[in-house]
Amino acid sequence: MKPQDTPQSDEALSRVLRQWNVQAQLPPRFQEQVWRRIEQSESPAHAPAWLRLWQRLGAALARPSLAVSYVTVLLLAGLLAGFWQAHATRVQTGEEMGARYVQLVDPFQSPHH
Amino acid sequence: MKRPVLVLVAGLLVAVAAYCGVYYSGTSSCCRPLKDSTPELSWLKQEFHLDNAEYKRIVELHTAYLSGCAERCRRIDQKNAEVARLLSATNTVTSEIEMALREAALLRADCQAKMLQHFYEVSRTMPPEQGKRYLAWVQQQTIPADSHSQMHH
Repeated sequence: MKPQDTPQSDEALSRVLRQWNVQAQLPPRFQEQVWRRIEQSESPAHAPAWLRLWQRLGAALARPSLAVSYVTVLLLAGLLAGFWQAHATRVQTGEEMGARYVQLVDPFQSPHH
Repeated sequence: MKRPVLVLVAGLLVAVAAYCGVYYSGTSSCCRPLKDSTPELSWLKQEFHLDNAEYKRIVELHTAYLSGCAERCRRIDQKNAEVARLLSATNTVTSEIEMALREAALLRADCQAKMLQHFYEVSRTMPPEQGKRYLAWVQQQTIPADSHSQMHH
């Protein structure tokens, strides 16, 4: 049979709880992980794929090492794309200007002949 | 979720800035001639690494060549009009037509010879290596490479 809860036993329990002192250290980034778990528990299980992907991406970018890697990769991609596009523009402009020069000096290639 | 969004946007901004920086620094020199009054000659200066004195001389040669070229073109046009008039007046090749065709061909040959002479003068004004390169390039662009054996009869 379950013992009855009495005001006296509550008082005793409260006294014991007040005396209880936790010595253990919190793990690193405990608060951040707690909030992340709360966020995860609040999001419905049937959330759309893009939302889950976004949440994963957000969680990944919250880590400094991944954030730095992401920015570095985009920086390199921007540099490479700019270099490649500039090279293509230089080649195209050179060809165009060469053709214009030839049209200027060769009467058999100029539009009025 | 604020920080990941900031990182995401910062990454994109960095990529766009890097792209624009490299693109504009890489194309500023090649697109400079387009802003000049004679972009073709400015391009020639840049392409064949001419100094200011060489460039000035080439501009003079070019101006002199173009003024003579305009006169030769006018004479060719006149002769072509004469050939067309003669052709429309008959249904056979007369001696007059033959003569006019020969004169038109001579005018065209003279025009081509003057053009080649101009190319040689320009190439001599350039540094020797660049002059050789210019001559090879401009001849490839202007002198037809196809032979008569490939023509359809």
